[in-house]
Amino acid sequence: MRLHDLSLLVCAALAVAQSPNFAPPVRLMAGEVHLGEARLYPSPVFHDLNGDGAADIVVGDLRGHLTVAHRKGASSPAVYASEEKVLGADGKILDLQNW
Amino acid sequence: MSPQFVDFDADGQLDIVAGIFDGSPHLVRGSAKGWGAPEQILDRDGQRIVGNAFWNFDAKKWDETDRCDPPGHKPAKKGLLTSAVALDLDGDGDFDLVLGDHYTGAVFVRRNEGTATAPKFAVKNEVLHADGKPIDVPGTVATVRLVDWNGDGLQDLACGSMGDPYGTAAGGGVFLFLNVGSKSKVEFGEMQTLLATSMKGATAPTRPDVGLHPDFADYDGDGDLDMVVGGYSLWSPPAVVLTAAQEDRVKVLRAEAAELDEKSSTIHKAIIAATKGLDKEAAAARRSELLAEKKDALSALSKQRQVVRKELDPMVPGAKRESFVWIYENLAVGPADRPAQPR
Repeated sequence: MRLHDLSLLVCAALAVAQSPNFAPPVRLMAGEVHLGEARLYPSPVFHDLNGDGAADIVVGDLRGHLTVAHRKGASSPAVYASEEKVLGADGKILDLQNW
Repeated sequence: MSPQFVDFDADGQLDIVAGIFDGSPHLVRGSAKGWGAPEQILDRDGQRIVGNAFWNFDAKKWDETDRCDPPGHKPAKKGLLTSAVALDLDGDGDFDLVLGDHYTGAVFVRRNEGTATAPKFAVKNEVLHADGKPIDVPGTVATVRLVDWNGDGLQDLACGSMGDPYGTAAGGGVFLFLNVGSKSKVEFGEMQTLLATSMKGATAPTRPDVGLHPDFADYDGDGDLDMVVGGYSLWSPPAVVLTAAQEDRVKVLRAEAAELDEKSSTIHKAIIAATKGLDKEAAAARRSELLAEKKDALSALSKQRQVVRKELDPMVPGAKRESFVWIYENLAVGPADRPAQPR
Protein backbone atom coordinates (compact mmCIF):
# COMPACT_ATOMS: atom_id res chain seq x y z
CA MET A 1 0.00 0.00 0.00
CA ARG A 2 2.94 2.34 -0.37
CA LEU A 3 2.82 5.01 -3.00
CA HIS A 4 6.07 3.95 -4.67
CA ASP A 5 4.27 0.76 -5.70
CA LEU A 6 2.22 2.80 -8.11
CA SER A 7 5.12 2.87 -10.52
CA LEU A 8 4.92 -0.88 -10.86
CA LEU A 9 1.24 -0.70 -11.62
CA VAL A 10 1.42 1.43 -14.69
CA CYS A 11 5.09 1.01 -15.53
CA ALA A 12 5.05 4.53 -16.89
CA ALA A 13 8.71 5.08 -16.17
CA LEU A 14 9.69 2.19 -18.40
CA ALA A 15 7.15 2.67 -21.11
CA VAL A 16 8.37 3.90 -24.44
CA ALA A 17 6.48 4.62 -27.60
CA GLN A 18 5.41 1.28 -28.86
CA SER A 19 2.88 -0.71 -30.81
CA PRO A 20 1.63 -4.14 -29.91
CA ASN A 21 3.21 -7.19 -31.40
CA PHE A 22 2.16 -9.77 -28.89
CA ALA A 23 3.50 -13.29 -28.72
CA PRO A 24 0.85 -16.01 -28.55
CA PRO A 25 -0.65 -15.90 -25.09
CA VAL A 26 0.46 -18.21 -22.33
CA ARG A 27 -1.64 -19.27 -19.35
CA LEU A 28 -0.06 -18.13 -16.10
CA MET A 29 0.41 -20.53 -13.25
CA ALA A 30 0.08 -19.80 -9.55
CA GLY A 31 1.81 -22.59 -7.69
CA GLU A 32 0.71 -25.83 -9.32
CA VAL A 33 -2.56 -24.59 -10.82
CA HIS A 34 -3.58 -22.10 -13.45
CA LEU A 35 -3.94 -18.57 -12.13
CA GLY A 36 -7.61 -17.57 -12.01
CA GLU A 37 -8.87 -21.07 -12.72
CA ALA A 38 -12.44 -21.71 -11.58
CA ARG A 39 -12.93 -18.01 -10.70
CA LEU A 40 -15.94 -16.13 -12.00
CA TYR A 41 -14.61 -13.60 -14.51
CA PRO A 42 -11.08 -13.21 -13.12
CA SER A 43 -9.71 -9.67 -13.39
CA PRO A 44 -5.93 -9.61 -12.88
CA VAL A 45 -3.93 -6.49 -12.11
CA PHE A 46 -0.21 -6.07 -11.53
CA HIS A 47 0.58 -4.67 -8.10
CA ASP A 48 3.40 -5.14 -5.61
CA LEU A 49 1.19 -6.02 -2.66
CA ASN A 50 3.92 -7.13 -0.26
CA GLY A 51 6.33 -4.31 -1.09
CA ASP A 52 9.25 -6.54 -2.08
CA GLY A 53 9.80 -4.62 -5.31
CA ALA A 54 8.29 -7.28 -7.58
CA ALA A 55 4.89 -6.91 -9.21
CA ASP A 56 2.50 -9.51 -7.85
CA ILE A 57 -0.79 -10.26 -9.56
CA VAL A 58 -3.98 -9.40 -7.69
CA VAL A 59 -7.05 -11.10 -9.11
CA GLY A 60 -10.58 -9.84 -8.51
CA ASP A 61 -13.68 -11.72 -9.54
CA LEU A 62 -17.39 -11.33 -10.02
CA ARG A 63 -18.12 -12.51 -6.48
CA GLY A 64 -16.15 -9.54 -5.13
CA HIS A 65 -13.22 -11.53 -3.81
CA LEU A 66 -9.54 -10.62 -4.20
CA THR A 67 -6.60 -13.00 -4.25
CA VAL A 68 -2.92 -12.35 -4.72
CA ALA A 69 -0.29 -14.49 -6.41
CA HIS A 70 3.06 -13.24 -5.14
CA ARG A 71 5.90 -13.15 -7.62
CA LYS A 72 8.73 -15.42 -6.48
CA GLY A 73 12.20 -14.03 -7.14
CA ALA A 74 13.16 -12.15 -10.25
CA SER A 75 13.36 -15.02 -12.73
CA SER A 76 12.10 -14.64 -16.27
CA PRO A 77 9.55 -15.87 -17.07
CA ALA A 78 8.02 -14.87 -13.77
CA VAL A 79 7.06 -17.53 -11.25
CA TYR A 80 4.06 -16.95 -9.00
CA ALA A 81 3.17 -18.57 -5.71
CA SER A 82 -0.25 -20.09 -5.08
CA GLU A 83 -3.08 -17.60 -4.79
CA GLU A 84 -3.92 -16.32 -1.33
CA LYS A 85 -7.02 -14.43 -0.27
CA VAL A 86 -6.43 -10.73 0.34
CA LEU A 87 -7.33 -9.92 3.93
CA GLY A 88 -8.59 -6.75 5.54
CA ALA A 89 -7.08 -4.98 8.56
CA ASP A 90 -9.46 -7.01 10.72
CA GLY A 91 -7.91 -10.25 9.50
CA LYS A 92 -11.05 -11.25 7.63
CA ILE A 93 -11.27 -11.93 3.91
CA LEU A 94 -11.71 -8.72 1.95
CA ASP A 95 -15.10 -9.10 0.36
CA LEU A 96 -16.72 -6.57 -1.95
CA GLN A 97 -20.10 -8.21 -1.77
CA ASN A 98 -22.17 -7.98 -4.89
CA TRP A 99 -25.51 -9.12 -3.59
CA MET B 1 -14.09 -6.09 -10.95
CA SER B 2 -10.50 -5.07 -11.90
CA PRO B 3 -9.27 -3.45 -8.67
CA GLN B 4 -7.33 -0.21 -9.11
CA PHE B 5 -4.66 0.60 -6.54
CA VAL B 6 -4.68 4.36 -6.20
CA ASP B 7 -4.53 6.99 -3.43
CA PHE B 8 -8.16 7.92 -3.92
CA ASP B 9 -8.56 10.05 -0.79
CA ALA B 10 -5.15 11.74 -0.96
CA ASP B 11 -4.02 10.57 2.48
CA GLY B 12 -0.71 9.15 1.27
CA GLN B 13 -1.89 5.54 1.37
CA LEU B 14 -3.02 3.45 -1.56
CA ASP B 15 -6.68 2.54 -1.66
CA ILE B 16 -8.60 0.15 -3.90
CA VAL B 17 -11.22 1.43 -6.33
CA ALA B 18 -13.35 -1.17 -8.06
CA GLY B 19 -16.62 -1.38 -9.89
CA ILE B 20 -18.45 -4.56 -9.02
CA PHE B 21 -21.45 -6.42 -10.32
CA ASP B 22 -23.95 -4.64 -8.07
CA GLY B 23 -23.63 -1.72 -10.51
CA SER B 24 -21.71 0.78 -8.35
CA PRO B 25 -18.09 1.83 -7.75
CA HIS B 26 -16.60 0.82 -4.43
CA LEU B 27 -13.69 1.98 -2.31
CA VAL B 28 -11.47 0.07 0.09
CA ARG B 29 -9.40 2.54 2.06
CA GLY B 30 -5.83 1.63 2.81
CA SER B 31 -4.05 2.61 6.00
CA ALA B 32 -0.93 1.63 7.89
CA LYS B 33 -3.06 -1.07 9.54
CA GLY B 34 -4.21 -2.57 6.23
CA TRP B 35 -7.39 -2.54 4.19
CA GLY B 36 -10.57 -1.11 5.66
CA ALA B 37 -14.12 -2.32 5.07
CA PRO B 38 -15.37 -1.85 1.49
CA GLU B 39 -17.73 1.06 1.01
CA GLN B 40 -19.77 2.41 -1.88
CA ILE B 41 -18.58 5.63 -3.47
CA LEU B 42 -21.58 7.95 -3.23
CA ASP B 43 -22.52 11.10 -5.09
CA ARG B 44 -22.68 14.59 -3.53
CA ASP B 45 -26.22 13.89 -2.31
CA GLY B 46 -25.24 10.65 -0.65
CA GLN B 47 -26.89 8.55 -3.35
CA ARG B 48 -25.42 5.51 -4.98
CA ILE B 49 -23.57 6.05 -8.24
CA VAL B 50 -25.23 3.78 -10.79
CA GLY B 51 -26.19 3.59 -14.43
CA ASN B 52 -29.67 2.20 -14.74
CA ALA B 53 -29.67 -1.34 -13.39
CA PHE B 54 -28.36 -2.00 -9.89
CA TRP B 55 -28.72 -4.55 -7.15
CA ASN B 56 -31.05 -3.17 -4.51
CA PHE B 57 -29.57 -4.36 -1.21
CA ASP B 58 -32.65 -3.27 0.77
CA ALA B 59 -35.22 -4.98 -1.44
CA LYS B 60 -32.78 -7.81 -2.26
CA LYS B 61 -33.59 -7.70 -5.94
CA TRP B 62 -32.40 -6.13 -9.18
CA ASP B 63 -33.76 -2.64 -9.63
CA GLU B 64 -33.64 0.12 -12.21
CA THR B 65 -33.52 3.91 -12.25
CA ASP B 66 -33.16 6.77 -14.72
CA ARG B 67 -32.08 9.36 -12.12
CA CYS B 68 -28.41 9.28 -13.19
CA ASP B 69 -28.94 9.46 -16.95
CA PRO B 70 -27.21 12.35 -18.70
CA PRO B 71 -29.73 15.06 -19.64
CA GLY B 72 -31.35 14.17 -22.94
CA HIS B 73 -29.66 10.79 -23.01
CA LYS B 74 -31.87 8.17 -24.61
CA PRO B 75 -29.89 4.96 -24.53
CA ALA B 76 -31.07 2.13 -26.75
CA LYS B 77 -30.32 -0.16 -23.84
CA LYS B 78 -30.15 0.48 -20.13
CA GLY B 79 -26.77 0.41 -18.44
CA LEU B 80 -25.13 -1.59 -15.66
CA LEU B 81 -21.88 -0.02 -14.48
CA THR B 82 -19.68 -2.85 -13.26
CA SER B 83 -16.19 -1.42 -13.72
CA ALA B 84 -14.57 1.79 -12.47
CA VAL B 85 -11.26 3.62 -12.40
CA ALA B 86 -10.32 6.92 -10.77
CA LEU B 87 -8.77 9.46 -13.15
CA ASP B 88 -8.34 13.22 -12.94
CA LEU B 89 -10.04 14.17 -16.20
CA ASP B 90 -9.79 17.92 -15.86
CA GLY B 91 -6.50 18.43 -14.05
CA ASP B 92 -8.13 19.99 -11.00
CA GLY B 93 -6.19 17.79 -8.62
CA ASP B 94 -8.94 15.37 -7.67
CA PHE B 95 -10.13 12.08 -9.03
CA ASP B 96 -13.15 11.76 -11.25
CA LEU B 97 -14.60 8.35 -12.01
CA VAL B 98 -14.63 6.50 -15.33
CA LEU B 99 -17.31 3.81 -15.40
CA GLY B 100 -17.75 0.94 -17.87
CA ASP B 101 -21.16 -0.33 -18.95
CA HIS B 102 -21.51 -4.10 -18.83
CA TYR B 103 -24.73 -4.01 -20.89
CA THR B 104 -23.45 -1.81 -23.75
CA GLY B 105 -20.16 -0.53 -25.15
CA ALA B 106 -20.55 2.83 -23.44
CA VAL B 107 -18.23 4.41 -20.92
CA PHE B 108 -19.46 7.11 -18.53
CA VAL B 109 -17.87 9.71 -16.31
CA ARG B 110 -18.75 11.07 -12.88
CA ARG B 111 -17.11 14.43 -12.26
CA ASN B 112 -15.73 15.20 -8.84
CA GLU B 113 -17.05 18.64 -7.97
CA GLY B 114 -15.32 18.61 -4.60
CA THR B 115 -11.68 18.13 -3.75
CA ALA B 116 -9.21 15.31 -3.50
CA THR B 117 -9.76 14.89 0.23
CA ALA B 118 -13.48 15.70 0.20
CA PRO B 119 -14.87 14.40 -3.09
CA LYS B 120 -18.34 15.39 -4.20
CA PHE B 121 -19.41 13.46 -7.23
CA ALA B 122 -21.96 14.81 -9.66
CA VAL B 123 -25.43 13.29 -9.58
CA LYS B 124 -25.50 12.56 -13.31
CA ASN B 125 -23.37 10.39 -15.54
CA GLU B 126 -21.66 11.94 -18.55
CA VAL B 127 -21.12 10.00 -21.76
CA LEU B 128 -17.39 9.67 -22.42
CA HIS B 129 -16.32 10.45 -25.96
CA ALA B 130 -13.33 9.35 -28.03
CA ASP B 131 -12.44 10.90 -31.36
CA GLY B 132 -15.53 13.08 -31.03
CA LYS B 133 -17.95 10.17 -30.71
CA PRO B 134 -19.43 8.34 -27.74
CA ILE B 135 -17.22 5.39 -26.89
CA ASP B 136 -18.75 2.15 -28.11
CA VAL B 137 -16.59 -0.82 -27.20
CA PRO B 138 -17.32 -3.86 -29.39
CA GLY B 139 -18.87 -6.61 -27.32
CA THR B 140 -19.92 -4.46 -24.29
CA VAL B 141 -17.54 -3.34 -21.56
CA ALA B 142 -16.10 -5.95 -19.23
CA THR B 143 -13.68 -3.54 -17.62
CA VAL B 144 -11.92 -0.18 -17.90
CA ARG B 145 -8.21 0.20 -17.13
CA LEU B 146 -5.65 3.00 -17.25
CA VAL B 147 -2.25 2.66 -18.84
CA ASP B 148 0.33 5.05 -20.25
CA TRP B 149 0.61 2.98 -23.40
CA ASN B 150 2.75 5.35 -25.46
CA GLY B 151 4.88 6.69 -22.61
CA ASP B 152 3.88 10.33 -23.04
CA GLY B 153 3.06 10.78 -19.37
CA LEU B 154 -0.71 10.77 -19.99
CA GLN B 155 -3.09 8.08 -18.89
CA ASP B 156 -4.68 6.22 -21.77
CA LEU B 157 -7.85 4.18 -21.47
CA ALA B 158 -7.98 0.45 -22.18
CA CYS B 159 -11.21 -1.50 -22.27
CA GLY B 160 -11.69 -5.25 -22.15
CA SER B 161 -14.94 -6.46 -23.64
CA MET B 162 -17.37 -9.20 -22.77
CA GLY B 163 -18.37 -10.65 -26.14
CA ASP B 164 -21.10 -13.24 -26.36
CA PRO B 165 -20.50 -15.11 -23.08
CA TYR B 166 -22.09 -18.44 -24.00
CA GLY B 167 -23.23 -18.44 -27.63
CA THR B 168 -21.48 -18.68 -30.97
CA ALA B 169 -21.35 -14.93 -31.71
CA ALA B 170 -18.02 -13.11 -31.43
CA GLY B 171 -16.22 -13.05 -28.13
CA GLY B 172 -14.40 -10.19 -26.43
CA GLY B 173 -11.27 -8.20 -27.23
CA VAL B 174 -9.07 -5.46 -25.80
CA PHE B 175 -9.23 -1.91 -27.07
CA LEU B 176 -7.19 1.22 -26.46
CA PHE B 177 -8.04 4.91 -26.53
CA LEU B 178 -4.91 7.05 -26.46
CA ASN B 179 -5.09 10.24 -24.44
CA VAL B 180 -4.51 12.90 -27.08
CA GLY B 181 -5.31 15.75 -24.72
CA SER B 182 -3.26 17.00 -21.81
CA LYS B 183 -3.02 16.58 -18.06
CA SER B 184 -5.44 19.45 -17.59
CA LYS B 185 -7.91 18.15 -20.16
CA VAL B 186 -8.07 14.47 -20.97
CA GLU B 187 -9.25 13.73 -24.51
CA PHE B 188 -9.31 10.30 -26.03
CA GLY B 189 -8.50 9.53 -29.65
CA GLU B 190 -9.94 6.92 -31.95
CA MET B 191 -10.21 3.34 -30.79
CA GLN B 192 -7.29 1.01 -31.49
CA THR B 193 -7.44 -2.74 -31.23
CA LEU B 194 -4.89 -4.35 -28.96
CA LEU B 195 -6.49 -7.77 -29.12
CA ALA B 196 -9.13 -8.54 -31.73
CA THR B 197 -12.44 -10.02 -30.66
CA SER B 198 -12.39 -13.78 -30.44
CA MET B 199 -14.02 -15.78 -33.22
CA LYS B 200 -14.13 -18.80 -30.87
CA GLY B 201 -14.26 -22.30 -32.37
CA ALA B 202 -10.90 -23.54 -31.02
CA THR B 203 -10.31 -27.18 -30.15
CA ALA B 204 -8.09 -26.28 -27.20
CA PRO B 205 -7.75 -23.29 -24.88
CA THR B 206 -5.73 -20.87 -27.00
CA ARG B 207 -6.75 -17.45 -25.66
CA PRO B 208 -9.29 -15.68 -23.47
CA ASP B 209 -12.50 -15.68 -25.50
CA VAL B 210 -15.11 -13.92 -23.38
CA GLY B 211 -15.18 -11.56 -20.42
CA LEU B 212 -11.75 -10.06 -21.08
CA HIS B 213 -10.13 -8.16 -18.19
CA PRO B 214 -6.71 -6.73 -19.18
CA ASP B 215 -3.93 -5.00 -17.28
CA PHE B 216 -0.45 -3.89 -18.29
CA ALA B 217 3.09 -3.91 -16.92
CA ASP B 218 6.60 -4.67 -18.05
CA TYR B 219 6.25 -8.33 -17.10
CA ASP B 220 9.58 -9.48 -18.50
CA GLY B 221 11.65 -6.35 -17.84
CA ASP B 222 12.48 -5.65 -21.48
CA GLY B 223 11.25 -2.07 -21.41
CA ASP B 224 7.88 -2.45 -23.05
CA LEU B 225 4.40 -3.06 -21.74
CA ASP B 226 3.08 -6.60 -21.72
CA MET B 227 -0.57 -7.42 -21.24
CA VAL B 228 -2.18 -9.77 -18.77
CA VAL B 229 -5.77 -10.79 -19.52
CA GLY B 230 -8.26 -12.69 -17.40
CA GLY B 231 -11.29 -14.30 -18.99
CA TYR B 232 -13.00 -17.46 -20.08
CA SER B 233 -11.66 -19.75 -22.76
CA LEU B 234 -14.22 -21.65 -24.81
CA TRP B 235 -13.23 -24.69 -26.77
CA SER B 236 -14.55 -27.98 -28.11
CA PRO B 237 -12.07 -30.83 -27.97
CA PRO B 238 -11.95 -32.90 -31.15
CA ALA B 239 -14.10 -36.02 -31.26
CA VAL B 240 -12.42 -39.23 -30.19
CA VAL B 241 -12.48 -42.35 -32.38
CA LEU B 242 -13.86 -45.06 -30.12
CA THR B 243 -13.33 -48.80 -30.17
CA ALA B 244 -16.41 -51.03 -30.19
CA ALA B 245 -15.88 -51.75 -26.50
CA GLN B 246 -15.67 -48.03 -25.73
CA GLU B 247 -18.84 -47.37 -27.69
CA ASP B 248 -20.63 -49.99 -25.61
CA ARG B 249 -19.27 -48.46 -22.43
CA VAL B 250 -20.40 -44.99 -23.53
CA LYS B 251 -23.95 -46.32 -23.95
CA VAL B 252 -23.89 -47.76 -20.43
CA LEU B 253 -22.50 -44.57 -18.93
CA ARG B 254 -25.02 -42.38 -20.73
CA ALA B 255 -27.84 -44.55 -19.45
CA GLU B 256 -26.44 -44.27 -15.92
CA ALA B 257 -26.17 -40.49 -16.28
CA ALA B 258 -29.76 -40.26 -17.52
CA GLU B 259 -30.97 -42.36 -14.59
CA LEU B 260 -29.14 -40.15 -12.10
CA ASP B 261 -30.56 -37.02 -13.74
CA GLU B 262 -34.05 -38.48 -13.52
CA LYS B 263 -33.66 -39.25 -9.81
CA SER B 264 -32.46 -35.73 -9.13
CA SER B 265 -35.25 -34.24 -11.20
CA THR B 266 -37.85 -36.30 -9.31
CA ILE B 267 -36.65 -34.89 -5.99
CA HIS B 268 -36.80 -31.30 -7.27
CA LYS B 269 -40.25 -31.79 -8.80
CA ALA B 270 -41.53 -33.19 -5.48
CA ILE B 271 -40.19 -30.12 -3.67
CA ILE B 272 -41.88 -27.79 -6.15
CA ALA B 273 -45.16 -29.71 -5.80
CA ALA B 274 -44.95 -29.50 -1.99
CA THR B 275 -44.67 -25.70 -2.06
CA LYS B 276 -47.39 -25.10 -4.61
CA GLY B 277 -50.20 -22.90 -3.36
CA LEU B 278 -48.14 -21.43 -0.50
CA ASP B 279 -47.45 -17.73 -0.38
CA LYS B 280 -43.96 -16.56 -1.39
CA GLU B 281 -42.41 -16.53 2.07
CA ALA B 282 -43.95 -19.80 3.18
CA ALA B 283 -42.93 -21.44 -0.08
CA ALA B 284 -39.34 -20.27 0.35
CA ALA B 285 -39.25 -21.54 3.93
CA ARG B 286 -40.75 -24.92 2.99
CA ARG B 287 -38.39 -25.23 0.02
CA SER B 288 -35.38 -24.63 2.28
CA GLU B 289 -36.72 -27.21 4.74
CA LEU B 290 -37.21 -29.86 2.06
CA LEU B 291 -33.86 -29.14 0.41
CA ALA B 292 -32.19 -29.62 3.80
CA GLU B 293 -34.02 -32.94 4.19
CA LYS B 294 -32.88 -34.09 0.76
CA LYS B 295 -29.40 -32.60 0.97
CA ASP B 296 -27.62 -35.94 1.48
CA ALA B 297 -29.58 -37.65 -1.31
CA LEU B 298 -28.90 -34.83 -3.76
CA SER B 299 -25.24 -34.70 -2.78
CA ALA B 300 -24.89 -38.45 -3.33
CA LEU B 301 -26.48 -38.16 -6.77
CA SER B 302 -24.16 -35.30 -7.64
CA LYS B 303 -21.10 -37.30 -6.64
CA GLN B 304 -22.27 -40.29 -8.70
CA ARG B 305 -22.77 -38.01 -11.70
CA GLN B 306 -19.22 -36.70 -11.30
CA VAL B 307 -17.87 -40.26 -11.35
CA VAL B 308 -19.82 -41.05 -14.51
CA ARG B 309 -18.75 -37.77 -16.13
CA LYS B 310 -15.10 -38.40 -15.28
CA GLU B 311 -15.14 -41.67 -17.19
CA LEU B 312 -17.36 -40.44 -20.01
CA ASP B 313 -15.61 -37.14 -20.75
CA PRO B 314 -12.37 -38.47 -22.29
CA MET B 315 -14.43 -40.63 -24.68
CA VAL B 316 -17.09 -38.04 -25.49
CA PRO B 317 -15.54 -34.69 -24.68
CA GLY B 318 -18.05 -31.89 -24.36
CA ALA B 319 -17.63 -28.17 -24.96
CA LYS B 320 -15.42 -26.48 -22.36
CA ARG B 321 -15.69 -23.09 -20.71
CA GLU B 322 -13.04 -22.33 -18.12
CA SER B 323 -11.48 -19.22 -16.69
CA PHE B 324 -7.76 -18.49 -16.81
CA VAL B 325 -5.29 -15.61 -16.71
CA TRP B 326 -3.08 -15.20 -19.78
CA ILE B 327 0.09 -13.21 -20.41
CA TYR B 328 0.64 -11.56 -23.79
CA GLU B 329 4.31 -10.76 -24.08
CA ASN B 330 4.93 -7.63 -26.12
CA LEU B 331 7.64 -8.50 -28.63
CA ALA B 332 7.96 -5.17 -30.38
CA VAL B 333 9.13 -1.79 -29.29
CA GLY B 334 8.27 0.34 -32.29
CA PRO B 335 7.32 3.82 -33.30
CA ALA B 336 4.18 5.16 -31.72
CA ASP B 337 2.50 5.82 -35.02
CA ARG B 338 2.81 2.26 -36.28
CA PRO B 339 -0.71 0.77 -36.45
CA ALA B 340 -1.74 -1.83 -33.95
CA GLN B 341 -1.40 -5.42 -35.08
CA PRO B 342 -4.47 -7.27 -33.87
CA ARG B 343 -4.07 -11.00 -33.51
